Amino acid sequence: MTATETKTTTTNGRTDGANGVHQIGRSVPRIDALDKVTGRAQYTADLHLPGTCYGAFLRSPHAHARVVSIDTSEAERMPGVVAVISAASIARDLAIVVEEEMHAARRVLSLFPNVGGKVTYHGQKIAAVAAATKELAEEACERIKVEYEVLPPVIDVREAVKEGAPLVHDETKPVDGLDHGPFAAPTLFNIAGQNHRNEGDVDAGFREADRIFEDTYVIPRAHQTYIEPQSTVADVARDGSVTVWTSTQGHFAVRSNLANSLRIPLSKINVIGMTIGGGFGAKFGGIVDTYCVLLAQKARRPVKIIYTREEEFLDAKPAPGAVITVKTGVKEDGTITARQAWALWDTGVGSGGCYATNRVKGVYKIEHFKVDAYDVHTNKPAPGAYRAPGAPQATFAGETQLNRICAAMGWDPVEFRLKNMREGDQIAFKETLQAVADRAGWAKRQSKTGPNEGWGVAVGEWTNGAGPASAVVSVHEDGKVHVFYGLMDLTGTDTAMAQIAAEVLGVRYEDVTVSRGDTNSAPFGTASGGSVVTFSFGNAVKRAAEDAKKRLLELAADHLEVAVEDLELANGRVSVKGNDESLVTVAQLGQMALRSKGGPIVGHGSFASEPSATTTAAQIVKVSFDPDTGQVRLRKLYGSLDVGKALNPMACEGQMEGGLVQGFAWGLMEQMRYAEDGRNWNPGLLDYRVPTTLDFPDIESVMVEMPTKNGPFGVKGIGEPPIAPGVACLVSAVADATGVWINEVPLTPERVLHAIKANGKK
Amino acid sequence: MRQLIELNVNGEVYPIDVEGRTRLLDALRDKCLLTGAKEGCSTGDCGACTVLLDSMPVTSCLVLAASAVGKQITTIEGVAKGEALHPVQRAFMDLGGLQCGICTPGMIMTSIALLEENPNATRDEIRYGLQGNLCRCTGYDKIVDAVQAAAHEMDGRRRGTPRVETGGNPAMAGPLQADTTGGRSPGAR
Repeated sequence: MTATETKTTTTNGRTDGANGVHQIGRSVPRIDALDKVTGRAQYTADLHLPGTCYGAFLRSPHAHARVVSIDTSEAERMPGVVAVISAASIARDLAIVVEEEMHAARRVLSLFPNVGGKVTYHGQKIAAVAAATKELAEEACERIKVEYEVLPPVIDVREAVKEGAPLVHDETKPVDGLDHGPFAAPTLFNIAGQNHRNEGDVDAGFREADRIFEDTYVIPRAHQTYIEPQSTVADVARDGSVTVWTSTQGHFAVRSNLANSLRIPLSKINVIGMTIGGGFGAKFGGIVDTYCVLLAQKARRPVKIIYTREEEFLDAKPAPGAVITVKTGVKEDGTITARQAWALWDTGVGSGGCYATNRVKGVYKIEHFKVDAYDVHTNKPAPGAYRAPGAPQATFAGETQLNRICAAMGWDPVEFRLKNMREGDQIAFKETLQAVADRAGWAKRQSKTGPNEGWGVAVGEWTNGAGPASAVVSVHEDGKVHVFYGLMDLTGTDTAMAQIAAEVLGVRYEDVTVSRGDTNSAPFGTASGGSVVTFSFGNAVKRAAEDAKKRLLELAADHLEVAVEDLELANGRVSVKGNDESLVTVAQLGQMALRSKGGPIVGHGSFASEPSATTTAAQIVKVSFDPDTGQVRLRKLYGSLDVGKALNPMACEGQMEGGLVQGFAWGLMEQMRYAEDGRNWNPGLLDYRVPTTLDFPDIESVMVEMPTKNGPFGVKGIGEPPIAPGVACLVSAVADATGVWINEVPLTPERVLHAIKANGKK
Repeated sequence: MRQLIELNVNGEVYPIDVEGRTRLLDALRDKCLLTGAKEGCSTGDCGACTVLLDSMPVTSCLVLAASAVGKQITTIEGVAKGEALHPVQRAFMDLGGLQCGICTPGMIMTSIALLEENPNATRDEIRYGLQGNLCRCTGYDKIVDAVQAAAHEMDGRRRGTPRVETGGNPAMAGPLQADTTGGRSPGAR
């Protein structure tokens, strides 16, 4: 498929497919919508198992401290308390560990700090209690006595890498540093991971340039802020087998985490994925489920743990912050000759972030490109994924600087990008950018710009991965189709899968039901993250439906006494081509199958991995700012997204709009704040602001369809990319409005006001 | 102090025992086993626990169960009349006004109260009325679409005219457009 064949569709005026014949391309309601609008959908917290007791955690009030003593005896004696776990109790329980199991045992032992060991962030779990009520469990936690020797914390990555900074983990070895760049030093400290990439020769590239730009961008940690907190219910049978009901993006991932970390055989763990109230990358397990199982093992009763909102902010897995310096060489004709990036990612007590620095390159032809990036330990919780992990941060740096270059050199930011964008098979960088520019009337924007108003544009990208997926599609005696698999539906994927099965089997979407199996019953399925599942499970479901279709046609051929090749399947029936009289319905075939030699109609489909093609999200914003208060308001928002093929245009728009708002919100208002003593400063929704209905205008959405050959019907994974461009887009628009480039977000009113005053503008 | 109270929820009487400090949300979820109202924050910031108390939307995490005695409580479970969905429920389904669904019960309860009070609510008024209900999935556009469509539908029923078909994203106008304050200045603290 070439770029010229790209079809740009505007989905605001929706169609419901060609006379109902096509089930893909229809904006049908979500398959779970009825349960969700009537309050019937079952989330983890909604479970009320008989005999349930409730878990709570004791947490460190300090960001960095040595644990001198822990005394749980009073809590253990409290009536109503059924289990108390701490490092000491786990060590006692593991006392019989044999040598070869030590490696696994260490993982269990690391769930809580030992006496003599350290707590390394504010809110870290010290112990957990299960009791008859949640209040009792919390009260018991308060009765656990802990003595600390408080240590100085390190909060800023730029300080953490310096010699003499407190070491977050005592065992972290210093690493050789860089002899150049913004944090040149012989040795770097608190380094959790490194990423060095070198394409071409950046020094030669910079020599070719007419102008060289260098900027440093700072972006804070952001919390995914799913409205349903982390939650798990666990129960342990007499034979030790474990059942876990949990809010997760991947129940098979939870199963393997539990098996590995608690040394329970995989076959003795059954994980039931409940309806999930938002995840965005933070719900792959390990935050509450492990502790819930440990408590249930001791309590021998079901244990329920529901995180509070405060616990979410103190001790979950937020997106890492970053400090990224970008240097770019440009010729007078607008060619980018070289780009180099240095980055320190704020990965707290964990790691995972620095690889995303490669995205600073963007979707452009850049021959010489170099990255030196580090994950840096600070006294904060470990990071997790947040929709296109790392992309918003890296895109903020890369795309904002491109806009600054355009402003400095007099280039139109859209034209400059079109000139430098890569082209290729199955990708639509240029078409996607052009589509949003056309929708926004970008070329004529000056005529629509008042005083204190400005425009910004930015582009993000993501290439969906793929993972193992398997599905079973059965055709029943009423002609209805059922899809069964181990897919966790986050974003509407069950709906997309039903549409795929319906399309292949020539029935209506409304005639398809879907059920998700637990880990005992369903074949393995990859977790829902990284925009992999519509691509991966879509292939599996399509194959399974095709398998069932083959059986349908064979039964029909037998019944109608014609060859399979002479049959067609559509509108719930199989007919002989060119003879509408000679037909049999899918329902009749479903009945006949029960008496046939082959038995009921079941199709199987499995998929491992195949490469997809990059998808693009391009966004344009018009902002205004108040020169008296510094307040920035979004006035117009436009987004385009290359979806490959829109299985459900309404759902595609929903993905695009939701991701777009999350991206812009990170630039406008969201930041996890830490005091100098390392304590989390804003662990609640009043102080950690996420957008309300009043913070954003309506969004004009444009879908671009550049199919990828390995995706079912050309589908690309689309959940991730819409979050990537927002921060850069917003910062650039504010610069257009104010004349000041503010390289640190979020753009709070005081930050904007200070920046303008410091620059003597307005 | 434990006490026996009777709550009138969705037209049915629930005799339950509660503590003086028991929140209405917990009474509904744990005692009446009506789990449609969700807990997202326990501080009244997210709106997921919104129910109607004598037609007024309240965040049930901030209401004591005992104080709801003698009032008509409506939860998401009581919105549909038998098989017939409320127009707001129907519109949320048809127009993509929900994704993960955790905010949906509260969002629908607030929307119903909003349209009861202002049947001809404009897009801006809908945005204004829903500011206390957080949604992290949709970006809000399709929620506003849905409430607007429901308003048209309900208006049509009152007038006996056919349902107005919607689906576009009409541009916003008026003083409330993208007002980032809403009384809560972003990041101002």
